[in-house]
Amino acid sequence: MSPGLLEGLLMLPALLLLALVFLWPLGAMAWLSGQASSVLTGLTALPNGGANWLRLLGDGRFWQDAGQTLRFALVSVVLELLLGLGLALLLQRPGRGRAWLRTLTLLPWALPTTVMALGWRWIYNDPFGPLNALLGLLGIGPYGFLSNPATSWLFTVLADVWKTTPFVALLLLAGLQSIPLELRESLELEGAGRWQRLRHLTLPLLLPYLSLALLFRLTQALGVFDLVQVLTGGGPAGSTESLALYAYLNAMRFLDFGYSATVVMGTFVLLLLAVSLALLLWRRSQPHRRPA
Amino acid sequence: MRALVLLWSLGPLFLQLFSSLVTPETLVDPGKIAGGGHWTLANYRALLGASPSFGRYLLNSAVVGSGTTALTLLLAVPCAYGLQRQRGAMRWSVMAALLGAALFPTVLLFLALLGLARRFDLGNDLLALSLPYAGLSLPLAVLLLRTAIADLPPELEEAAQLEGLDFGERVRHVLLPLLSPALASTAILVFLFSWNEYPIALTWISRADRLTLPTAISRIAGSSVYAVPYGAFAAATVLGSLPLLLLVLLFQRSIVSGLTQGAIKG
Repeated sequence: MSPGLLEGLLMLPALLLLALVFLWPLGAMAWLSGQASSVLTGLTALPNGGANWLRLLGDGRFWQDAGQTLRFALVSVVLELLLGLGLALLLQRPGRGRAWLRTLTLLPWALPTTVMALGWRWIYNDPFGPLNALLGLLGIGPYGFLSNPATSWLFTVLADVWKTTPFVALLLLAGLQSIPLELRESLELEGAGRWQRLRHLTLPLLLPYLSLALLFRLTQALGVFDLVQVLTGGGPAGSTESLALYAYLNAMRFLDFGYSATVVMGTFVLLLLAVSLALLLWRRSQPHRRPA
Repeated sequence: MRALVLLWSLGPLFLQLFSSLVTPETLVDPGKIAGGGHWTLANYRALLGASPSFGRYLLNSAVVGSGTTALTLLLAVPCAYGLQRQRGAMRWSVMAALLGAALFPTVLLFLALLGLARRFDLGNDLLALSLPYAGLSLPLAVLLLRTAIADLPPELEEAAQLEGLDFGERVRHVLLPLLSPALASTAILVFLFSWNEYPIALTWISRADRLTLPTAISRIAGSSVYAVPYGAFAAATVLGSLPLLLLVLLFQRSIVSGLTQGAIKG
C-alpha cells in the first residue's frame, strides 16, 4: 500500500459524514428552493420555475427579518468583543482564585440557550420579574421589556451578550497567554503605561484571535434561533424575528417546505455577503499588515 | 471588579434557584419571604412527578450526548491523524473546509436534515440523532485533535516503529495515551454541543417521552398548564443546568485548555 493511501482512507469515514450533513443539505435545499412543496401540493415537490425566489425578493417579512437579524448580530458581536476583551484582561490578572473565577464566569456559556432564555423571560417579566422589581425600588416602571416592539430587540441582545461574552473572553484569553511576558516587561521598562501597552502590544498581537472570535460570533449570531424562539417567539409584532426563525416557521407552521428552503438559501447568501464584507473591512483597517 | 463580574455571570443563575424554591405568591412579592414559611419544593415535585418525568429528558439528553461523543471521537481521531499526514495543498484545503464548516450556523441545516430523517425513518430515535450531531461536531473535533497530534514530537512514532510496534500497537500504546488530554477536552465540548442543541432535536423528535432537555424546556415554556408557570420554569432550568454545572466544575481545566489551545493554532 502506498504511504498516502492509508492516511487518505483514515479520513474517509469522517469526510463522508461531513458531506452528508453539510454538503448534501446545501445541495438538497438549493434544489428544493426551486420547487413548490407545501400542503397545497400535498407536500410533493413540483418545479415552479423560480417562483419561490421571486416571492422572496418581494417578501417584506423576509427583508424585515434580514434587517433585524443583522442589527442583532452587529450590536451583540461588537458588545461581546469589547466586553470579552475586558473580561479576558481581568481573567488574566494573577490573583487568588483565578481558576475558579474563570470557571464560574464560563458557566453562562456552558448552559443550554433554551434554558437560560427561559430564565431571562422571567427576569424581564412585566410586572413581576426581578428587573421590574428593581425599577420599582427606584420608583420607575414597570416596563414591558419584551412587549415593546421598539426596544424588545435590545433585550434579546442583552441576554445574548450575557451568555456568549464568556466564550469570546476565553478565546481572547488564549491569545493573551500566547504573548511573551518579556515583551510586556520590556515595554514597561521603557515607561509605557497600561493604555499604551494595550494599544501597541496587546491589541496587535491579539488580532488573529480577535478576528477568529469576530468571524465565529458573527456567523453564529446571524443564525440566531434558540434564543429568540424561546425568549420572544419572534414577537412582539415580529420585531425580534430572525431569519432562521422565519425559515423554521415556514416549514413547521406554514408547512411550506419549498419556500422554507428558499428562505434558508437566501439567508445563506446574505451570510456569505456579510462575512465577505466583514473580512474586506477588516483587511482594509489593517494597512500595515503583510499577507502571511 | 471581580465581584461585579461574578454578580453579572451568576446573578441570573441564583435568581432561577430562588424562583424555583418559593411559592407563586412569594415569587411575585418577595417581601413576604421575611414572614417565613414560603419555601417549597412543589415545583420540583411537579416536574419529576409529571408524565413523562423530567428525569426522562435528562436521561434522553445523556443518551444522545454519549452516543454523539463516542461516534465523533471514533471518526475524528483517524481523520485528524490522516489529515496531519497529508502534505501541502491537500491538508490546507481540507482544513479550510473544516474551518468553514465549524463557522457555519448549523440551524440553517435543519430542514434538509429533517428530510434525511423522513427518508430513512430516523425521527424520534435518540441514537439516530447522534448521527447529525456527530457530523456537526466533527469540524471542531478534527481541528482540535489535529493540533494536538501536530504538537506530538515526530521522533516518537519513528522510535516506536523501530521498536517493532505495528500500527495498531502504536495507536494503542503511543498515540492514544499521549492524546488523552486533547481527547478529554474535545469530548467535553462535543458533549456540551449535543446537550444544548435545539433546532434539530426540535424537528426530529416529536414523541413526548423522547424529548431531549432543550426541546422539553421549550415545550414547558409553551404550555399553559401552570397558573403562574415561572416557578416550574425555574425548577426546570435548575434541573437542566445541574448536570452541566457538575461537568463544567469537574472538567474546568480540560474545557479551558481545549478551547484556548486547540481552536486557534489551526
